[in-house]
Amino acid sequence: MGFTLEGVGLIHANGFRALRGVDLQVAPGERLALIGASGAGKTTLLRVIAASLRPGEGRVRLLDGEPWACSPGNLRRLRARIGLVHQSPPIPPRQRVVTAVLAGRLGQWPLWKSLASLVLPADPQGAQAELARLDLADRLYERCDRLSGGQLQRVALARVLYQKPDLLLADEPVSAMDPALSELTVALLNEEAVRRGVTLVASLHAVDLALRHFPRVVGVKDGAILFDLPAASVTEALLRELYAAEGGLPLAGSVAPDEAPTTPDLPPLRCA
Amino acid sequence: MRRAGISAGALFAVVLVLAAVGASFAYLDMPLGALFSGSAVDEAVSFVKRFFPPDLSPDFLAKVGFATLETLAISLLSTLLAALAGALLALPAAGRHGVAGRVGARFILNLLRSVPELVWATLMVLAAGLGPFAGTLALALHTTGVLGRLFAEALENTPPAPAEALVGGGAPALASFFYGTLPLVASQWLAYGLYRWEMNIRMAAILGFVGAGGLGALLYYSLSLFHEAQASTVILAMLAMAIAVDGASAWLRRAAA
Repeated sequence: MGFTLEGVGLIHANGFRALRGVDLQVAPGERLALIGASGAGKTTLLRVIAASLRPGEGRVRLLDGEPWACSPGNLRRLRARIGLVHQSPPIPPRQRVVTAVLAGRLGQWPLWKSLASLVLPADPQGAQAELARLDLADRLYERCDRLSGGQLQRVALARVLYQKPDLLLADEPVSAMDPALSELTVALLNEEAVRRGVTLVASLHAVDLALRHFPRVVGVKDGAILFDLPAASVTEALLRELYAAEGGLPLAGSVAPDEAPTTPDLPPLRCA
Repeated sequence: MRRAGISAGALFAVVLVLAAVGASFAYLDMPLGALFSGSAVDEAVSFVKRFFPPDLSPDFLAKVGFATLETLAISLLSTLLAALAGALLALPAAGRHGVAGRVGARFILNLLRSVPELVWATLMVLAAGLGPFAGTLALALHTTGVLGRLFAEALENTPPAPAEALVGGGAPALASFFYGTLPLVASQWLAYGLYRWEMNIRMAAILGFVGAGGLGALLYYSLSLFHEAQASTVILAMLAMAIAVDGASAWLRRAAA
């Protein structure tokens, strides 16, 4: 699912201007990374793309339709096709992993099935399959508050993978993981997008991860787009300008290239 | 500047309280001395003696047993009904369905809560007739007000992010509530429900005084007929039931944690 933003601007309820004049055009199946200092507006931009946040200015077009002109029912059906991996996993601590993952399909399931699944999980095999790709298959019936931050982040990721969205969005999906696991997880997201031919937009704090894995890189600074280039054309000078306020480039650290899985049959990730 | 020691205002407040206590004694005409005189103590002892030994005849024990079951059923059913109705009213009261819903639901909850159980019971006995049904309705109405308010406060203090994330993924409102909000408040709601159940057991034992069935009715009859031995059996049954329920709810709380 492609999308277009035209002159999008947004001021939060507290008066903070998060986005100004953002133009962004993404074709179906494209994969791009959003980079920029914290507070630059990456999360807000992703939530606007996800049709969760309505911008005050400009136009949003998703799938050649305007989400904010849709009826509530159509907006809900549109959102069911968009998967957003949140930065801090929005999962109730006492929920079981299987329930948290199956929640990815609430937008597609009829209500009776969602409610029945609370008593007897409707599709434990499906949840198990997604967790297995993230090396968490043995945690299916664990309670989420028994997991580490990085494991919880992978459960949230498994939920969105289970949703099988047409537009895959991820807001710093590896912020609680160590460098090796971050590398594998970002590679997995890209493989998923390529295999299913869906659009992928991920914001990443680590610049090197973005440059290594994404063909297109968008730099966000002070709520506006500073550059929008193929990864190979992003120069050192541009990055210095992007992170001028942080005094140094945030990097994930290097990982030997042979460690990253490149086979198309999606092997499970190994915990570092 | 504040000075050390008692301020004039505090001194005035203490004098005011002492004067109010003295005036109350004078107004109520309570002979404090008579309470501790020899004849009063004798009278109290003989009054207490009439309650012993408790009436343990099989016939009366069976009666008490049935009344205990009735009281338990009244408290359990009324608390369950109140928890359901309270949950339904707590959602709008927590401001999840706009300002109008919030104001309306809060008004209903305040109304239900501010009328005491005994007043509801008297009204329900008039409306539904003597018996346990009136008692159940009365307890359910008052407890709905209390639980609805407590449930709403728990909801207001719950992070909205999990439910919002599900709505953002296209989940219907009800499904988002059950997957994103209920797991966050469930243990607190259960604790409130159990606490009110314990209170309702005690309350259900008293409601019989106004004709709403259960142990209270039995106690009222035996006291009215000056059958103190039977009354003491009923009081013992109430005590045993309260202890049993405290234990049961402590166990349930541990199991749910």
